[in-house]
Amino acid sequence: MAENILVIGGGPAGMQSATLLADLGVNVSLVERDSYLGGNPKKFKYKFLFPDMQPADNVIGELIRKTETNSNIKIYYSSEVSDFKENGKKFDVTIKSPNGNETKTFDSVIVATGFEHFDPARDAKYSYQLFDDVIDIKDLERMFGEGNVNRPSNGQPPKNVAFILCVGSRDRHVGNQYCSRVCCTVSVKQAIELREHFPDCEVYIFYMDIRTYGFFEDLYWEAMEEHDVQIVKGRVAEITSGPNNTVICKGEDTLLRGPFEIPFDMVVLASGMEGGPQSPEMAKKLGLELDEHGFLKPQNVTLAPFKSNKKGVFLAGACTGPKAISDSITEGGAAAMDAYVYAMKNK
Amino acid sequence: MALEKQEKRLVAEKGEHIIARHLIEDDHIKEEKNLVIDGVDVSGRWNTFITTRVDSEFDRAFFQEIKETVVGSRINRCWQCGMCTASCTVTPLYRRFNPRAFIYMMQLGNLKELKKYVDVAWRCVGCYKCSQRCPKQVNPAEMMEALALLIKKYFPEELEGKLKIDEEVKKIYEDMILGHGRLDLAKLHTSSMQKMGKTKDLIGKIERDAIFKMAKDGRAFSILRLGKPHNWGKSKDAIENYLKNVKTIENEAM
Ligand SMILES: Cc1cc2nc3c(=O)[nH]c(=O)nc-3n(C[C@H](O)[C@H](O)[C@H](O)COP(=O)(O)OP(=O)(O)OC[C@H]3O[C@@H](n4cnc5c(N)ncnc54)[C@H](O)[C@@H]3O)c2cc1C
Ligand code: SF4
Ligand code: SF4
Ligand code: SF4
Repeated sequence: MAENILVIGGGPAGMQSATLLADLGVNVSLVERDSYLGGNPKKFKYKFLFPDMQPADNVIGELIRKTETNSNIKIYYSSEVSDFKENGKKFDVTIKSPNGNETKTFDSVIVATGFEHFDPARDAKYSYQLFDDVIDIKDLERMFGEGNVNRPSNGQPPKNVAFILCVGSRDRHVGNQYCSRVCCTVSVKQAIELREHFPDCEVYIFYMDIRTYGFFEDLYWEAMEEHDVQIVKGRVAEITSGPNNTVICKGEDTLLRGPFEIPFDMVVLASGMEGGPQSPEMAKKLGLELDEHGFLKPQNVTLAPFKSNKKGVFLAGACTGPKAISDSITEGGAAAMDAYVYAMKNK
Repeated sequence: MALEKQEKRLVAEKGEHIIARHLIEDDHIKEEKNLVIDGVDVSGRWNTFITTRVDSEFDRAFFQEIKETVVGSRINRCWQCGMCTASCTVTPLYRRFNPRAFIYMMQLGNLKELKKYVDVAWRCVGCYKCSQRCPKQVNPAEMMEALALLIKKYFPEELEGKLKIDEEVKKIYEDMILGHGRLDLAKLHTSSMQKMGKTKDLIGKIERDAIFKMAKDGRAFSILRLGKPHNWGKSKDAIENYLKNVKTIENEAM
């Protein structure tokens, strides 16, 4: 009899786990909260992905097609795990779906519930939701996805745009000390896209550090050297309304050593990633540990990054911390291996 | 005009003949007005010497000193992001007042640099906007207090010239706190106007309008009804005690 493995979360990580296990002949149940697969990249209609600007459909669309067409995968849309019990080395799980409740026994479980975007409205100094032209990187992804990146306030093309990095990350004041890893690269990517879309629009990036780690650095260099994106060192402390329907960024240029108040047509906040409500929810339901940052905690971050503290329950993707899609997919594969080995051993 | 100026100036200014003199700060120019070496008169420009303008040390002892104070204990947290200066109430008025830059100078123990700001370094108004926003919770507002203490300690003469503590003002504050348990802004305003010799302006148009408005919306009466803080007696004793101790210490020091 084939093994039964449960995957919770149908983002890039969960889909990678599910398809690999299904290819091994495992019966996979994939539980997804939303009515569609694809996770955050699908939800916010990411159009082109860093680092190589390939169409998101090449990656996310491809994974969705592979998952949906695999007969070994049973997908539960708009569903959740409503009950979770250990049964010896196995797990009795009730899945609540629009078609009712279903209880099954699984040999192992992969949690791939991902992240939530930091809500910039929580940090009042940025006046998000107060001014239409203050948006964040996920909003801009969606705007690119929907093909309209004009100013939300008046539908006109922006003449100058400011990116503000580290919104909701690296800030004790909002409670997140960690770096969200992707927002620098997303910002330089979007800066390039804006310059390509509106050649007359000047783009500035207010930064404290620019962390386009590894090969992502190429995009940062490209933004400056091929698209004249200007970087300004300093954080912005206040966004107020300015003349002619502009928004004013008040900050300090720490290199010139002095305050500035500059009006922009549009401000893009590089909001970071959070464990969201799903991480504590999973921790509680499945008896997993949370880390001090609000993400799920691996048994050993270096030796066993895909194992949870509970034997037979594995972790993949952004539910254990901020990361890029490639890392999430890699982890989906690695967790699938761990989950398969566990299931085989306890057959 | 130009001619007049020339006539007035009898003695050459220090380092005057240096090309691009404006790039070099006074402190870096050594020039003896009268100097004779081995019988040769090398007065004035003949002995001009420009000292190095390269920083040659970081003074961590100084950093430690700040870190050990209560208000400066978080100095090691600051990563120079500039959020404090960006939020600061005072910086837009005095660009030279820059909490971030001051903290950096304190971190590196750069007293030479700090000394240039003795005139503005104490200008923090204690609004705590910086501390509210600082992502590292350095509490920059209190770092400014550490800075003030430090300036008092290391540059007493410079401070003396730049900033005179007005005994009369101090007395007004003390009386107000001890008498009422809180600052009475109206009284503070009156006293300061009186001190400036502007008694007439006290009931100027703006003030009259304000009084009328406050009488109309009832605020004037609520001010009159203002009581003292709860359990004021105890606090008052404590403050009086403290002030007495401070005075004793000051007297002993003298
Ligand atoms: C603005 C932005 C742009 C980005 N652009 C790029 C890019 O260009 N290239 C790149 O490599 N990376 C990019 N990233 C990073 C990328 O989004 C993540 O790496 C990736 O989404 C993580 O995949 P995941 O499957 O772990 O999580 P997610 O994408 O968050 O997917 C998790 C899934 O789990 C589901 N779920 C959550 N809770 C439950 C629950 N309780 N029950 C059932 N299902 C649940 C969710 O609905 C979701 O479908 C970007 C990130 C941001 C913030
Ligand atoms: S990736 Fe960049 S913007 Fe995001 S938290 Fe890290 S340093 Fe800040
Ligand atoms: S004190 Fe805080 S806000 Fe100011 S520069 Fe340092 S870390 Fe930034
Ligand atoms: S407390 Fe002082 S340093 Fe801080 S913002 Fe207010 S005036 Fe500026």
